[in-house]
Amino acid sequence: MKLDIQGLSFAFGTKPVLKEISFDVPHGEFLGLMGPNGSGKTTLLRCIMNYLVPGMGSISIDEKPLDSFSPVALARTFAVVPQSSATDFTFSSYDIVMMGRIPHMASRLSGTSKADTVAVRKAMERTNTWQFAGRAFAELSGGERQRVIIARAIAQQPKALLLDEPTVYLDISGQIEIMDLLKKLNRDDGITVVAVLHDINLAARYCDRIALLSDGRLETIGLPADVLTPEMIQSVYGVDVAVRRDPFTGSIYVMPRSPVAAVHRHGTRVHILCGGGTGGPIMKALHDQGYSVTAGVVNVLDSDYENAKDMHIPVVAEAPFAPISQENHEENLRLIDESVAVVVSPFPVGPGNLLNLEAAKRALSLGKKVLLVRPESSANIDFVNGKGDAYIKDLISSGADAVRSTDELVSMLSGKAG
Amino acid sequence: MIRLGRRADAKDLDEFQRLRSKRLLILSALPFILAATALLAIFIGSLGPIGPGVETETGERIRMSFGDAFDALIHGHGDWPRDYHGTLWDVRIPRVLLAGLVGASLACAGTAMQAVFRNPMADPYIVGVSSGASLGAVAAGLAGLSVMAVIGPIVTPLLAFTIALMTVFLVYFLGTSKGKVYVDTLLLSGVAVAIFLDATRSFLIYYDRQEFHRVIFWLLGSFALASWTSMAVVGIAVGIGAFTVFLFSRDLNALLLGEETAHNLGTDPEFLKTLMLIVAAVMTAAAVAFTGVIGFVGLVIPHMARLVVGADHRILMPSATLSGAVFLIWADALARTVISPSELPVGIITAMCGGPFFVYLLRRHRIRGGA
Repeated sequence: MKLDIQGLSFAFGTKPVLKEISFDVPHGEFLGLMGPNGSGKTTLLRCIMNYLVPGMGSISIDEKPLDSFSPVALARTFAVVPQSSATDFTFSSYDIVMMGRIPHMASRLSGTSKADTVAVRKAMERTNTWQFAGRAFAELSGGERQRVIIARAIAQQPKALLLDEPTVYLDISGQIEIMDLLKKLNRDDGITVVAVLHDINLAARYCDRIALLSDGRLETIGLPADVLTPEMIQSVYGVDVAVRRDPFTGSIYVMPRSPVAAVHRHGTRVHILCGGGTGGPIMKALHDQGYSVTAGVVNVLDSDYENAKDMHIPVVAEAPFAPISQENHEENLRLIDESVAVVVSPFPVGPGNLLNLEAAKRALSLGKKVLLVRPESSANIDFVNGKGDAYIKDLISSGADAVRSTDELVSMLSGKAG
Repeated sequence: MIRLGRRADAKDLDEFQRLRSKRLLILSALPFILAATALLAIFIGSLGPIGPGVETETGERIRMSFGDAFDALIHGHGDWPRDYHGTLWDVRIPRVLLAGLVGASLACAGTAMQAVFRNPMADPYIVGVSSGASLGAVAAGLAGLSVMAVIGPIVTPLLAFTIALMTVFLVYFLGTSKGKVYVDTLLLSGVAVAIFLDATRSFLIYYDRQEFHRVIFWLLGSFALASWTSMAVVGIAVGIGAFTVFLFSRDLNALLLGEETAHNLGTDPEFLKTLMLIVAAVMTAAAVAFTGVIGFVGLVIPHMARLVVGADHRILMPSATLSGAVFLIWADALARTVISPSELPVGIITAMCGGPFFVYLLRRHRIRGGA
């Protein structure tokens, strides 16, 4: 089943909701519809299922216009899983799934056929809901209920599933359960899936493509990695994010950062000696306070390297897994020299990066303010037989200040160096 | 991820299958229960084999045997008690049948309304049928139409029926916008229109106090004026109405999951809501026109039936319809015997049963969060 949308516009009264949307969904695709609240995702889904009739534009299924389908033919093409399916009436789960057979009934007076019971049982077994077939739908948990609704959609034997935020009220295990189920239906049965999704990471992991809507327009459509860029998310959602790759699935994931009110960029230079991902929170905190932050020396592939890159912080980078070279050490010292203060993050100390502590010592001798971040609960981070700890003790006795948290660091800096 | 190790529990499934067969069994038993109820009810009364009996000139209380009663029913007979055959055929049988049909129509209309309003607390009078009908009846009396020769007995129901339907269309019109039926607006419009019509009726009563008795009749309901004509009219309305609701019982199921889902299952929710409103209104108006406003049947019977056979309208709707008939036949039998030889308006009986039950439902709704 190929879905083709051309120049679709829709308005509630005079308020335009969808503006000239065009895209197509090839057979067997798993498409995610995304966008901020009020961007028109649900309305678009309702237009596709012909529940709302667009003012302009056309929707066609396999080159045939949507309005040439009878309601029953349409019901055999699309099965819809709406956002919520609450009911005050005591239907059993079996009753609910059996409703999916309505488009297949031979006539209004015909009873339940063998094909109906078989389809219902199969749908309930696939969604792992058969064991509570007799239980009241209203008494099920959110995840169980959603699975029953999906079973109803499967019993409908559609060519495509349209889902409106299928995981919205579910906990994390429920979300994964539902998304895995949809992926399986998509892959094994060739059912095309079009789902409105809010969770960017779930969408990135499960969707073949993502269509991003913004204010009723189709902003972009494409592979998750091409659509979900920090720039695009910033422009559509207005949120600052970092995009990373999941080491296990290879799909991208997105980490939002709190939106920061514009700060006075006083530009006081602070250099951070870090590594092993311990520098990220410090970079973020100081950057948000308006400091000009630099960092070093970290290995490429270290998450502190990615943290610095995300925040456009100048960083002295060493080749992956290589010890700090003399050349980079010099560069590190140059940045320290340009700074007012130096912060030492609680990074793990090994033979490769001992020079970072040496750099801290040099900073003290240059008369720089040196601050050591030492969380009380920190694990042993010395992998050089006490050499690292010795360095730290030496630094403190030579006049470096130890702080316990990033917050303490910020107030210390603003009191003395800001 | 489909969790492993949570295999279908065979015991639960067996129980589920048993439940389904039980529900079908209840439904198939109901026509027999109805037939037995009707037959028994025909013989209940001061003259019949079930009842207080009749005092003879010698002060002795005697009662007909069932055998004599059957003979009287079928062949008619001469000596005693006089006119028993005539009483049965002219008064008792149409009355019992009318009670059954009115019960069926109210329960069926109530089932449809609860589905349309997606609210288990809805009843057939929710769109103003009762207010319209009683205003019509009072107006007919005031205008002197009800005492006219020949057409008199039929004018009052006719006017009640007409105004009841006009009320429903007004409420429907108020609750609809651009071809879309908004059930919340519809419900509130029903309340508003009913308040206005009830005030108009009160004004008319105040204007002509002789109408007071008629109003009591309409407000409490009674089968005292049953006739073959009224039975036939209500019978036709119920026959067509119940059949239509049954045809759309699967669509009503789908509607209860929301209009979007109903649409996706190939149903046109706007058409369905409009059709059900009209069908339910015609059935209710026909019932009210001849028997007055009999409360609680349309609310409580569908509810009770749902507790027993579940919410699937393919079983629920016929079960509720048949149970409504059975219930109202018994209620009427009680109404005409409890203070014999005079009789109570049947609405008092249904309200006395319905009120406490309604409270029970409300409490249950609060506690269980479902109906």
